[in-house]
Amino acid sequence: MLRKVIVGLLVSLVFLIGVPLQAAEFPTKEVQVIIPWAPGGATDLIFRALAATTGKYLGKAVVIINRPGAGGAVGYTEGMRAAPDGYTLTSAVTPLTILPHQVTTAFTYKNFDAVINVVSDPSMFLVRSDSQWKTLKEFVDYAKKNPGMITVGNSGAGGGVHLVALAFEKAAGVKFNHIPFSGGGPSVTALLGGHIHAVSVSPPEGIEHVKSGRLKIMALFAEKRFELFPDVPTVREQGINFVMGMWRGLIAPKGTPPDVIKKLHDAFKQGMDDPVFRKNARDMSVNLHYLGPEAFEKLMAHDHEFFGQLVKEIKK
Amino acid sequence: MKRDEIIVGIVIFIFGGITAAVSLRMPIGTFRMPGTGMFPLLLGILLMILSGILVLRLFFQGRQIRVKSEPSGESLGSPVQLILFLGTMVFITLFFNQLGYPLSSFLLMVALLRILGVKRWTLNLPLSFVTAVVSYFVFVQWLQIPLPKGWIGL
Amino acid sequence: MFESLQHLANGFGIAGTIHNLFYCLIGCIVGTLIGVLPGIGPIAGIALLIPATFSLNATSAIIMLAGIYYGAMYGGSTTSILLNVPGETASVITCIDGYQMAQKGRAGPALAIVSIGSFIAGTIGIFGLVFLAPPLAEAALAFGPPEYFSLMVFGFIVLSNVTGKSLIKSLMMAIVGLIIGTIGLDPVTGNERFTFGSISLLSGIEFVAVAIGLFGIGEVLTNVNQPSELLDQGVIMPRLRELYPSLQDLKKSIGAILRGTGLGFGVGLVPGPAPVIATYSSYMIERKISKHPEEFGKGAIEGVAGPESANNSACQSAFIPLFVLGIPFGPVTAIILGALLIHGVNPGPMMIGQHPELFWGVIASMYIGNFILLILNLPLVPLFANILRIPKRILLPLVILFCITGQYTVNNSVFDIWMMLIFGVMGFLMRKWAYEGAPLLLALVLGPKLEVAFRQSLMISHGNFGIFVDRPVSMAFLLATVIFLLLPVFKIIVKSLKKGGT
Repeated sequence: MLRKVIVGLLVSLVFLIGVPLQAAEFPTKEVQVIIPWAPGGATDLIFRALAATTGKYLGKAVVIINRPGAGGAVGYTEGMRAAPDGYTLTSAVTPLTILPHQVTTAFTYKNFDAVINVVSDPSMFLVRSDSQWKTLKEFVDYAKKNPGMITVGNSGAGGGVHLVALAFEKAAGVKFNHIPFSGGGPSVTALLGGHIHAVSVSPPEGIEHVKSGRLKIMALFAEKRFELFPDVPTVREQGINFVMGMWRGLIAPKGTPPDVIKKLHDAFKQGMDDPVFRKNARDMSVNLHYLGPEAFEKLMAHDHEFFGQLVKEIKK
Repeated sequence: MKRDEIIVGIVIFIFGGITAAVSLRMPIGTFRMPGTGMFPLLLGILLMILSGILVLRLFFQGRQIRVKSEPSGESLGSPVQLILFLGTMVFITLFFNQLGYPLSSFLLMVALLRILGVKRWTLNLPLSFVTAVVSYFVFVQWLQIPLPKGWIGL
Repeated sequence: MFESLQHLANGFGIAGTIHNLFYCLIGCIVGTLIGVLPGIGPIAGIALLIPATFSLNATSAIIMLAGIYYGAMYGGSTTSILLNVPGETASVITCIDGYQMAQKGRAGPALAIVSIGSFIAGTIGIFGLVFLAPPLAEAALAFGPPEYFSLMVFGFIVLSNVTGKSLIKSLMMAIVGLIIGTIGLDPVTGNERFTFGSISLLSGIEFVAVAIGLFGIGEVLTNVNQPSELLDQGVIMPRLRELYPSLQDLKKSIGAILRGTGLGFGVGLVPGPAPVIATYSSYMIERKISKHPEEFGKGAIEGVAGPESANNSACQSAFIPLFVLGIPFGPVTAIILGALLIHGVNPGPMMIGQHPELFWGVIASMYIGNFILLILNLPLVPLFANILRIPKRILLPLVILFCITGQYTVNNSVFDIWMMLIFGVMGFLMRKWAYEGAPLLLALVLGPKLEVAFRQSLMISHGNFGIFVDRPVSMAFLLATVIFLLLPVFKIIVKSLKKGGT
């Protein structure tokens, strides 16, 4: 008897409280940012720094989650599938517009809403300071004579810096041996240990080691020289017309309410302008480059077309 | 006992076979440039070989020699209890998001305690209730873990 | 040398201020709590508390976060010993003998020896950090893909039969673990493997789900399948004087603790799954050199003391690559690196020079923290040991709730709970037919890294297998593997020669 009463009570309880409560003011819990690469890489470092300062303005902590694998495809697939409530963002980096051309992915940039662009960085090749090649010319000449012999690490097959290296091959008329690692951290470590000849990265990866003199910049694919290393010429100055870089921003799953996006955008913008983040960014020698949601969406659309062309040409 | 062990060996053999077969549908590559399917294919074959050896050894082994590691679990309880126990876990997992954490933990405790023979409701219900409340406060309130809120919205 | 000592003295000055001692204490307490809860590991714990460090200076912040890290390592083995639920990779091995000790009413000594072993390992590890950090960090860089591959092969062959029961069954389980490890996206080409269209499977199967399933849930199900009378019993009651290890226990353990410390410190420098290799190999060594190997798997105290010490010193040496090179080799150190950045410190080759107060202050605080943890944990032993007085019919549902909650918190995913249940049923069946879970878990951790290192090596060498033997470190590991495989053959030859001689 008692049993029946209790079961009845429980059932009615379930139905009574079955009405979902209205959502409180966003954000009511911490916001997660998916990084589709291993910890210690450029994207990871930048967004960890940004997450720290943004937390203050958002009112809730911003938590970084690493979902490495398959040049970013694992993280983007998960980010795309997350609920469009603004609590799960994904870091959008150039490969987002490259991967869909190379492998069959479930996502393109169109599956996301742009939130903010934070950084645009030039790409570069690093070598060890005791490398056998002193100048870019020696490096390229050696590569021409010995096609496929120089090993160049990248942060994942089909990822941004891998494609940069492939595009540079084409521009310089050489052929490298590309070795994929699971992020910029591991590939720089392999270069430090002398297991590969060079590594394709973008700042801040390896910058601390360039500062300390263990690594040096062999090729800088930028419009202009680094503020931090004014002695390092760009490849364009040395006769190879090649400029390429990476942008890094934040995106939310498609269908996130515009007012939530606005709140997120404003908080991250404030986090970007925070003096602590500014100083961190300068120390990492990353190039801050703010874009609002519309402009960032346009940038992604443009690069999606651009890389589509490039991948087609390279695959030929 | 021995016959069951052979059946287990054969099941693992089949698992290895399926692994190898599925791997064959992926690009295998060459030994020098291994593709996606190479590693799992080798693993599947290796598992078939090992389980094959185990089964054959059991088969030819006389009844007098027993395998070094003796299977345990001689005194068995009723399978009904085990199935109910597992079923409760499956049920709660199925509706974990809908029920929400506090209600799931309460219902899970009530059901599992009852299945394991805590028959007195005056003990079962308060115990489950206290457990659910304590774990709610520890995980949701104090550690701020985003556990599902479900219908109750807690 | 002298200079280092002076720096260390300064470090103690910094860490010894009331302010920093307080944050060290907080870190240790939170770490212990987080370690005790399965699922919430040090990673989640540190991530949760980073916002709380915003207002602190960098040194205090890192002192507190480091405290959480090694505090969680102290606490992590508690559920392994009491409930057979490993909360993280490092405490899988502790389940084997720790849980058996608890079943025999010796949970107290098992828990206490973990604290004592960890304290000794931590103390010695800190001296290693102070005097050997820079050269060791350089040594760690010598590990490229080929060396990594050979180390994995060595670890795999030597450690897969870690419990020393049926070799063929251990190997079979290891291969099943490797197969499970291939689920997800191929890390080299990005192709899908065994995902059968499931998005959740793309990122592979969560280690903690397999570990808690095979060990924790499997054990609960085995218990549920027992006759009802057994469920009314708690575990054999510990007597009061048996709550702490006897003199004989300590004598047995001290060698294991020291060997584990050395081993863990060395292995901790290698990138990747250091805690797994360190704990498994410590267990293996203790079982091999023991005068009574038959006790292993039935509650040998060395089987708890060795691996736990190895784990703690591996976690200390993991700070070396972070502080000296600015490269995190594991997820926990990666989060601490993030915390350093937040506080405006750029980890890298120049960090020790630029922020000496931070480096030496944190090192000194680790020493103090280890001491705090020892005093904090020893009195908790009776409390934890008493959990086992709860009758099983009440304890088992609690364990299940504990596992489900812990598993969910790892990725906030119900899919992981399903995985945990599936592996729980598998663990139950494996127990029934005497298949071991430990080799499967080892393979699950090492497998993906083994495959990637193998393929990277061959890409670097243009498909030339010589790369594995041309390089001395890699060669040494392969040679050691071959010697290990041939060892039983040598033993037989020597035996027969002796017989022939007499």
